[in-house]
Amino acid sequence: MASRGVPRWIFYLQVASMLWMWVFVLGISGWIIHLLGLSRRLHDVPSASVGISIVAIPVFLMGAAILTYVFVGLQRGRKAEGEHER
Amino acid sequence: MKPDAEFEDTDLLRSIEESGVGFRVASSLLMLVILGAWVIFSRQILQGLGVTGLNQPVAWGFYIVNFVFFIGISHAGTLISAILRLSQAEWRRPITRMAEVITVVVLAIGGFHPVLDLGRPERMLNIFTAGRLQSPLLWDVSSITAYFMASTVYLYIPMIPDIALLRDRGTRPRWLYTFLAWGWQGTPRQHAVLERAVSILMVLVIPIAVSVHTVISYIFAMTLQPGWHSTIFGPYFVVGAIFSGIAALLMVMIVLRRIFHLERYLKQIHFDYLSRLLLIMSLLWFYFTFSEYLTAFFGSEPSEMRVFFYKVTGPYAPFFWGMVICNFVIPVIILSFRRTRTIPGIFIASILVVIGMWLERLNIVVPSLANPRLELATGYYIPSLVEWAMFAGGIATFILGFVVFARFFPLISVWEIQEGRELSVAETSERLESYLPDPAPASSSTVEGGG
Repeated sequence: MASRGVPRWIFYLQVASMLWMWVFVLGISGWIIHLLGLSRRLHDVPSASVGISIVAIPVFLMGAAILTYVFVGLQRGRKAEGEHER
Repeated sequence: MKPDAEFEDTDLLRSIEESGVGFRVASSLLMLVILGAWVIFSRQILQGLGVTGLNQPVAWGFYIVNFVFFIGISHAGTLISAILRLSQAEWRRPITRMAEVITVVVLAIGGFHPVLDLGRPERMLNIFTAGRLQSPLLWDVSSITAYFMASTVYLYIPMIPDIALLRDRGTRPRWLYTFLAWGWQGTPRQHAVLERAVSILMVLVIPIAVSVHTVISYIFAMTLQPGWHSTIFGPYFVVGAIFSGIAALLMVMIVLRRIFHLERYLKQIHFDYLSRLLLIMSLLWFYFTFSEYLTAFFGSEPSEMRVFFYKVTGPYAPFFWGMVICNFVIPVIILSFRRTRTIPGIFIASILVVIGMWLERLNIVVPSLANPRLELATGYYIPSLVEWAMFAGGIATFILGFVVFARFFPLISVWEIQEGRELSVAETSERLESYLPDPAPASSSTVEGGG
């Protein structure tokens, strides 16, 4: 992926922030799944836990997916070297 | 984006490019208040919840009242902004950014309040290993985190073109704007990506926003506590949240319009439309409140009646009737008449609604705990200095959030205003024409003419 016009360190920082966001989202999803497993092991109303997980996990994943889509889309949508605004 | 010589919206960048002593004084004072609050709060860290007014049976007080209050105000932003965008309300353009900032700032403040309410805050970490997802408190943790994430993304993505504008104007810190602009150059493909992302987000955030306050109501409604165990608590909380959110948004708009001289952008018509919404929400709030209290009163269940009379004629009567006056009586009078629906009138109504909604949260939390179903003596609650200090700290953090945001980012979306000027007039005319009935077919007019 090109980083035309943007200092390389800033581009790496942008990529790192995207990765960090995925770590955050996957961490939350992992945590919810852990609690789901815990409720099953303890027979602690696993149905409620399943209900919450079905709603919560996709919301986090979708948020992260949208940000990634925007980041990649903006990088790909940049003008090529030497191209001028029409 | 227009070249600098033609750039008409320099007013919108003044707070960023010409910030000076005002910003430094305001932020220093606010930070002093926040620091003071934390110094006073350190007593609670050292000595525990005994330094608060909390006791048995009133185990929840200001912290939970403020938690519900701040999360309620957060509905100002993302929800209102998303609804206005989705309905293609053109007058939304100068409003949405401020609304979205309110959401992010108050969510961060409100979401932190349950931690303050813990006698041993470090034990919060136990939810990572041994949380119980069947508890409505943990539903709150999930839903508020999800809402915070969605709202932050929803604030950030439409800000990218404005951040790129600041980067291109060489505004400092330039590295920050370059980093946050994500390589935006305003190409058609980038515009398409941005619009698609905003379209998905605005549909996504509406159910999340509604679910957040519904879930908060479940903390109360899922218990068998008198005054809380109600089937309409979910929608009642959502209505209250939108109501207080609109009032907070109007307050913020009026104050910022004055401070940053935004009269060209925030016109009477914007306040007129939003104040009509506030009026509708006031009536809706009254309807829900009336239904809630009438049902409890008509049932005459002894423990419910103790809570009812505690609020209506007992120690909480000043707060209860204050709530009714602030949320319904005065706002309805002010907002119903064109003569009083002026900007100062709307400002007064909005302040009263914000106060009234805080009183509503107080009326929900404390009286039910003071009059438990068990045969216990009636409880009492007097907030301590620590709780008042943290309340002041919360409000100072809210104002500081806006001051800092205004220092670095435009409070009104510059690119959306420009888009409105360049495209929306033609687009709106075209849309308006599409609403109108099609011309009668030539043959039928001939028949009618013939008849």
